[in-house]
Amino acid sequence: MKGLAPLFLGIFGTFAFSWVGLTVIPNWQIGHLNPQSDEEGTDIYPMPQSGMVQWGARVYAANGCVYCHSEQVRADYAGADIERKWGDRRSAPRDYIFERPVFLGKMRMGQDLANIGARAPAEQESPSPSGGGNPGGSPTGPAQSPSPPTAQPKAQGAQSPGASAAPQQQPATSPATSPATSPTSPASKPATIAGAGTGIASPSPAAAAVVSSPGAPPLAGPPWPEQTAGLPPMYSAAWHHVHLYSPRSINFDSNMPSYRFLYQACRISDVRSSDALQLTGSDAPPEGWEIIPTYDAKCLVAYMMALNQSHPLKEVKSAGAAPAASPAASPSAAPGGQPPPK
Amino acid sequence: MNPAGIPLKEPSVSAAAGDTEQLERALIDASTRVPVLIFYTSAMAWLILGTLLAGFVSFKLHTPDLLSDISFLTWGRVRPAHMNVMVYGWASMAGIGTAIWLMARLCRTVLRYPLLLVAGAVFWNLGVLLGLGGILLGDSTGYQWLEFPSYAAIILFVAYTLVASWAVLMFRFRRGEQIYISQWYLLGAFLWFPWLYAAGQLMLFVVPVQGVLQAAVGWWYANNLLFLWFGAIGLGTAYYMIPKVIGRPVYSYHLASIGFWSYALFSSWTGMQRLVDGPFPAWMVTASIAATILTLIPVATVGLNHHMTMQGYFPLMRYSPTLRFTVFGAMSYTVFSLVGVVISLRSVAGYVNFTEANIAYSHLGLYAFFTMVIFGSMYYIVPRLIGREWRYGSLIKLHFWASAYGIGLMTLMLLAGGFLQGASMENPSLAFTESVESVLPYLRGRSLAGILLTVSHFIFAYHFGLMLFGLGRKSTVPTFLNPVEAEGAEAHI
Repeated sequence: MKGLAPLFLGIFGTFAFSWVGLTVIPNWQIGHLNPQSDEEGTDIYPMPQSGMVQWGARVYAANGCVYCHSEQVRADYAGADIERKWGDRRSAPRDYIFERPVFLGKMRMGQDLANIGARAPAEQESPSPSGGGNPGGSPTGPAQSPSPPTAQPKAQGAQSPGASAAPQQQPATSPATSPATSPTSPASKPATIAGAGTGIASPSPAAAAVVSSPGAPPLAGPPWPEQTAGLPPMYSAAWHHVHLYSPRSINFDSNMPSYRFLYQACRISDVRSSDALQLTGSDAPPEGWEIIPTYDAKCLVAYMMALNQSHPLKEVKSAGAAPAASPAASPSAAPGGQPPPK
Repeated sequence: MNPAGIPLKEPSVSAAAGDTEQLERALIDASTRVPVLIFYTSAMAWLILGTLLAGFVSFKLHTPDLLSDISFLTWGRVRPAHMNVMVYGWASMAGIGTAIWLMARLCRTVLRYPLLLVAGAVFWNLGVLLGLGGILLGDSTGYQWLEFPSYAAIILFVAYTLVASWAVLMFRFRRGEQIYISQWYLLGAFLWFPWLYAAGQLMLFVVPVQGVLQAAVGWWYANNLLFLWFGAIGLGTAYYMIPKVIGRPVYSYHLASIGFWSYALFSSWTGMQRLVDGPFPAWMVTASIAATILTLIPVATVGLNHHMTMQGYFPLMRYSPTLRFTVFGAMSYTVFSLVGVVISLRSVAGYVNFTEANIAYSHLGLYAFFTMVIFGSMYYIVPRLIGREWRYGSLIKLHFWASAYGIGLMTLMLLAGGFLQGASMENPSLAFTESVESVLPYLRGRSLAGILLTVSHFIFAYHFGLMLFGLGRKSTVPTFLNPVEAEGAEAHI
């Protein structure tokens, strides 16, 4: 080969060809999607993420969760994802428009998490499938007034006398306490993000109220969560905290590392904190101590509880049956753990 | 010079071309000494660090409670740390070291602007160090192969720009009209990489694309890094080393040209096959699968060319360390590409999509192919920079076998484990944990392979250290793997 010009042009040309073909054209095709809504402009899906959820995604990235967990459900003809109850329809580009970074994942040493928030016990978490992604973030909006008192004595569950005896109290349902805990951990930044985020997400309770009836049925009778002995219901926020702290106390065969550095041991000063983990056996802290999640851990769980692709999308056919039929189908299929009837 | 009379080194030197050419080469080699050794030495340090991190990652995967209470040693941080140290610290820096030397030799001119390269190396090390610290302290971006936080990425980009502009400047000083095959690949690599890195950074961090496209851009970047950066340097090096060591021109210049352009065209379109069945337009995945299958054209031409060049000279692998490593790497390139084609087919990808088989694939490319070729080139180049020969033939042999068995075992373990993992994952009547359990024995086997690789890297680092401190053999005969005279080498040719 002679001369630099043809070589240089060829090198540039092949690269530009690939760049245009594999990034620019797809970006033109699916790079500017909007949330879908019905005719009245309600029932908007997906919703922007709340601040805690966004910070949780940072924690998810920082600790490399993506190297073992995917967040995508493949179509029923392409894999067993739907039969494994990881979702009831395949994932579509529109599901991810507010995600940054997007954690599609390339490895499943652990379960797929695309719908982990939808698999939480319905009465406790994910009030709306459209969720805007905060387990209680926006719903607790009105309840924010009682929370500031809770805030100052950090480890004190001052707001309810029954807090110590109430394992049902979800740690993640109290993001209102989070601005208070945040001074201990990444201080002002997450707090401001959280503030902004709830501002953005504020329409969600209204939307949720309208939507919840058509959206909820596929999950109404929670088919997947089961009571693990002595532990909170599966995939609830409290369950996630215990699982992150001590994975093998829940699933003996798990090879997930524990994330104890996201939790701190505190002396119980007065009453047990409502956030404290319900630990049993060798994981339980010594008498007079409790394990409470840091702000990072709360955000991480908030992020996971917000992962929910159960809202129907117009461009995707829900597997097995039409959305209308699925409420009947899935609870009946669920208890036995059988694949849904085709 | 060579007692057995076989052209193991610099065949033209003893011929009529004579002393001026030899002197010229020595001058060129001397001019590359400082920059190349800086890149090599840094790369060796990153290799050792990356190896230790790799062992840690591998053991933690089947012993999850190992040191998991310390935030910066959690598996999900050590794994990207290992990956990035190997990709940007070891492989890139060693590859650049080799590429600098090749550029100077092939441009037939003493190295100009060495300060550009020294500055490049300093920035490069700084970038990798900062990035490593960022990942361990929890600043990872979460995009595979681009985990370095932005403050490290900017420094790295400065380093790439310095090195790339050196390559272009150097090209202008070349003597002779002919541009040798290796130079096509090297110039391509030097230009593709900064463009690629800039495009990836821009589309993910500066003006981020929406949603799933981030994953597409991520895989486009990662795959092109593998092919257009590492692959191009590796193939360029092999095209130089194999003919050089056996003292015979490349079999077909025409084949090489087809190989290069089809490689540039098709391999740059791969990457999306990793997103198979994901939330993407089907044409993206299909286009990449087609491109992956079309890479069989460059594989066939390059493989044929190397094979025909080597024809009749294979016995020399018994003696020459460079040839043995390089030919192993060149053969691994074929295996790597074939495995890539097989696991990209939709029917197979369904099984291996989310399994360890992907790790096998990237290790085949980055280690069995690229790293082995670079090891070979270092065995050739370092003595010429230092003026000493490698001290122990036995250590080189040990290095080769530990590396070859290590990477072979690792690939087999991960491929077999990956297929089993995928098979149980696709069978919904089995609990999900069973798919993880089915791969665990293979992960233990992988740890064993990792121990072999660790041994090989420590041996090489020790040997390299001896050379660096001037403790090599003072001799005019290169170090052979087996004694040449005793065995009557001519009988093998």
